[in-house]
Amino acid sequence: MAATPHVLVIGGGSTGVGIARDLAMREFDVTLLEQGNLTHGTTGRMHGLLHSGGRYAVADQASATECIEENRVLRDIASHCVEMTGGLFVKRPEDDESYFQDKLSGCEECGIPAEVVSGREARQMEPHLATDIDKAITVPDGAVDPFRLVVANAASAQEHGARVETHSKVRDLLVEDGEVVGVEVEHDSGPGLRVHGVEGGREEIRADYVVNATGAWAGRIGDMAGVDIEVRPSKGVMTIMNVRQVDTVINRCRPKGDADIIVPHETTAILGTTDEEVADPEDYPEEQWEVDMMIDTLKELVPMLEEARTIRSFWGVRPLYEPPDVGSEDPTDITRDFFLLDHEERDGLPGMTSIVGGKFTTYRMMGEQIADHVCNQFGIDRACRTADVPLPGSEDFSVLRDYMDEFGLRSPIGRRSVERLGSRADEVLQTAGPNPTVCECEGVTRAEVQDAIAQSGSDLNAVRIRTRASMGNCQGGFCSHRLASELHGEYEEPIARRAWDELLQERWKGQRHALWGQQLSQAALNYALHATTQNRDHDPADGESLDFSAFDSGTDDRTTGAAGTDVAADGGHADGY
Amino acid sequence: MSDAEDPTTFSPAEPTTGEEFEPVEVFPDNDDFDLRPGADNCYKCSTCDTNCPVAEVDDDFPGPKFQGPEQWRLTQTDDDYEIDDSITSCSNCLRCDNACPSGVPLSQMHNTARGRYVDEQMSKLSVEYIRNRILANYRTSAWLASKVPRLSTFVMNNSAVRWVMDKTMGIPKERDFPAFATETFQEWWAKRGGADESRRRARQNRPDDADPSDYKVAYFHGCYSNYNTTQVGKAMVRVYEELGFEVVVPEQKCSGTPMFANGMLDDAERHAKVNVSSMSDLVEQGYDAIASCTSCSMALRQEYPELFDIDGIEKVSENTYDSVEYLRIHTDIADRLSEATVEGDLAEEFAYHAPCHGRNQGLERQAVELFAELDGVGIEDVGDSCSGISGTYGWKSEKYEISMEIGQPMFDHMEDSAGETGMTECPTCAMQMEHGTGYDVRHPLELIEAAIVEA
Repeated sequence: MAATPHVLVIGGGSTGVGIARDLAMREFDVTLLEQGNLTHGTTGRMHGLLHSGGRYAVADQASATECIEENRVLRDIASHCVEMTGGLFVKRPEDDESYFQDKLSGCEECGIPAEVVSGREARQMEPHLATDIDKAITVPDGAVDPFRLVVANAASAQEHGARVETHSKVRDLLVEDGEVVGVEVEHDSGPGLRVHGVEGGREEIRADYVVNATGAWAGRIGDMAGVDIEVRPSKGVMTIMNVRQVDTVINRCRPKGDADIIVPHETTAILGTTDEEVADPEDYPEEQWEVDMMIDTLKELVPMLEEARTIRSFWGVRPLYEPPDVGSEDPTDITRDFFLLDHEERDGLPGMTSIVGGKFTTYRMMGEQIADHVCNQFGIDRACRTADVPLPGSEDFSVLRDYMDEFGLRSPIGRRSVERLGSRADEVLQTAGPNPTVCECEGVTRAEVQDAIAQSGSDLNAVRIRTRASMGNCQGGFCSHRLASELHGEYEEPIARRAWDELLQERWKGQRHALWGQQLSQAALNYALHATTQNRDHDPADGESLDFSAFDSGTDDRTTGAAGTDVAADGGHADGY
Repeated sequence: MSDAEDPTTFSPAEPTTGEEFEPVEVFPDNDDFDLRPGADNCYKCSTCDTNCPVAEVDDDFPGPKFQGPEQWRLTQTDDDYEIDDSITSCSNCLRCDNACPSGVPLSQMHNTARGRYVDEQMSKLSVEYIRNRILANYRTSAWLASKVPRLSTFVMNNSAVRWVMDKTMGIPKERDFPAFATETFQEWWAKRGGADESRRRARQNRPDDADPSDYKVAYFHGCYSNYNTTQVGKAMVRVYEELGFEVVVPEQKCSGTPMFANGMLDDAERHAKVNVSSMSDLVEQGYDAIASCTSCSMALRQEYPELFDIDGIEKVSENTYDSVEYLRIHTDIADRLSEATVEGDLAEEFAYHAPCHGRNQGLERQAVELFAELDGVGIEDVGDSCSGISGTYGWKSEKYEISMEIGQPMFDHMEDSAGETGMTECPTCAMQMEHGTGYDVRHPLELIEAAIVEA
């Protein structure tokens, strides 16, 4: 065994990066593999709730207690990813009073600060709540940006020496003498930053220990070594509203049910969710009735949702797990707790542990326990520091600055950027060149886009999750081509074109579930613009590189031209008549 | 309009944004106006930006899309967001309102943002604030000046005084201050016998079988017709009486237009309360509210209900008209003019400019259409550019150049047109037209008076 054990973490969601960061900080040699972008799986498809624990305070108090602890930790170490909105559990007249009381006492038992407010007080906090609500319980729920949080964890792991490979899919586990000793991985575009068109290839990565943190995909990794990991993926739909109808997390105060939460998230509000078991985490139906049901149910809490603009919907799969002997019928009954499956103990297969179940809010705590477990394997005793050391971006900083003078930005755009970048703002936004706004909906400037490109290569979806560019109301209609042209210089035209195609595909994926009212107008306008100005409805270049030299240089021949008899390119005469 | 609808029911005089559109929602517990539907309605097409006269000449101005729906949406996460100071570069011409194909209440969003900017971010001791406050409260200065009108006119146009004002206050020395009338419109009105006299004259001119309750209007003259161009106010009264309408002149303050444009919403609301209170009483009694200044009618019709929650405000808004528009709807003015001939002073070729605020009410063709058949005069539309002055905007030294650049196409077209007399409904557009070309500028009411009222 090498002096520094090499641990391989599979899965670039919150759990995976949390483990990778923790192990890297405990001086392990760490490699993280992710099949898509960071957050590609479940992490990138959640409603962004930073749990206070209130949602679990009646049925699952162990989870509730963990949530409130981690809620406090994340406010501290990930302040630039968290917005402490506060939360309400709202009781409608038809909702059960005894459940309301259970919720209240449950919160007290779990140490979750909770107070009852009258319907009128709740409406003073959130004027768009229905007029007939009875009362509510306030809890310290918040909103968290899962993309930013995961990217920051990965960056921290890298700062501590970890290797992070995205778009790198594990094709096989290497098992020698009955022990997992590494993986065979297929890189989409070679190791390092993802660059479209770069020849990929397989790589054997040997490791002293493997952690399978692939969530809903854990069974697939297990299969490669012949061990059975029965994750029960359960899908949930989330719908994104164009603007925030509420500034506080709004929960419906009733026992488990669909469509019972609204989370204010950045410029938007996210409605959630449903809970339905699916067979395959990558192939399940996305149906319109699920979206309709969300709006129809949640408008009982916030009536204006019925008329409000929806910009997209997306589905996520929870990686639920329960020990085989429990046998819950309904996925909502399955615990949200996590399980550490040591395959040596469980299956007689040393060298690998899987982690399944769990929730986003407690990702760090899960990482800590896994890292402790890995330390034990090697007889190493090093303390976990992830709860104390702020993530990159969350070191001391103030968002209240004079952006106009400091960065030459219009104040709301500057403030947005600084809130996203946190303590990295100076490093990213102080730029010598012009810094135009690239994404107008979310106020993202060139400097931020270039910073993201430097982190992630030619992948515009990776730029998107780092900056929020193209995540606003036009859904990339007005900025996708600008983002693609930001790749120019570093990358050639065919690469930019492929990245651009991918971004548009991804934006369309969610937007197609919002095609009525204003977003239908938006989609129609986007289509018209893209078709008429970018030839997107029929691409004559057919993916091939265009011969740009065949076009004129764009300079005005009139100033240099000889006679005034030439016809200018616009069909008019060169002399202006 | 969908294909299923009968196209014959389509009326070009009606707004097509859809009657069901309701940008304003008032919550019982909360008197803030909700601008969410405005942000939801924007699909970023940028038509507003391409119609913005300021953005066209000022590359530093981000345009109405940013000022309105984008900035609103970006700043909702908490109350600490500052309003970008570029909001002070918006001239409040409201072209964006008119341009938007999707019903975004841009001017409402701008007015709200500007109000917040001035309230929260502008130093109340700064020269700019004090200057803007004085400009916005033109009524107060005009009231004072009208006490000594000749002296005021002389002093305000004294070059030394203007040099000092430019240097200390930022009021451009290039502009000529309007002359103050030696007798205000209100003084004239009172001396003439007020509403009683008007009733008497109107009755004489009304057909015997006419229902008097259809012939009652309340005149909102605005500040400028009262203190400066009193001939417009007098023309209004004479024309309306000639057509059988009895006029009343209720208690009134400034419409608030210059206050909206300078973010002084508290001042505007104070004045609006007086105006709405007196106008709503009259509207209840069957009067229609008539303004001869298109910015005043715009304020009463659109900005009041968008920004303030005052008893009777909707009722006043629904019953307010521009003075020429009202005649076109309720009288046979077009026939009267087609039979008339103008002689004398006003037998001229006119270069007509449609003010932005009139344009926003759908009135940009009214003068040209109305006077097309009038003998003895000619009228030519000088195009759809903004005059650039936008009330107090062009009265700020730092905006003067921009103001003149915006106005340049209008000046050019005026020079090109046959006439050497200007015409417009808006008093500050008139100021700019005169400033840019040296032309004398008239209000359509003055020409109607010349055509149908016997001197």
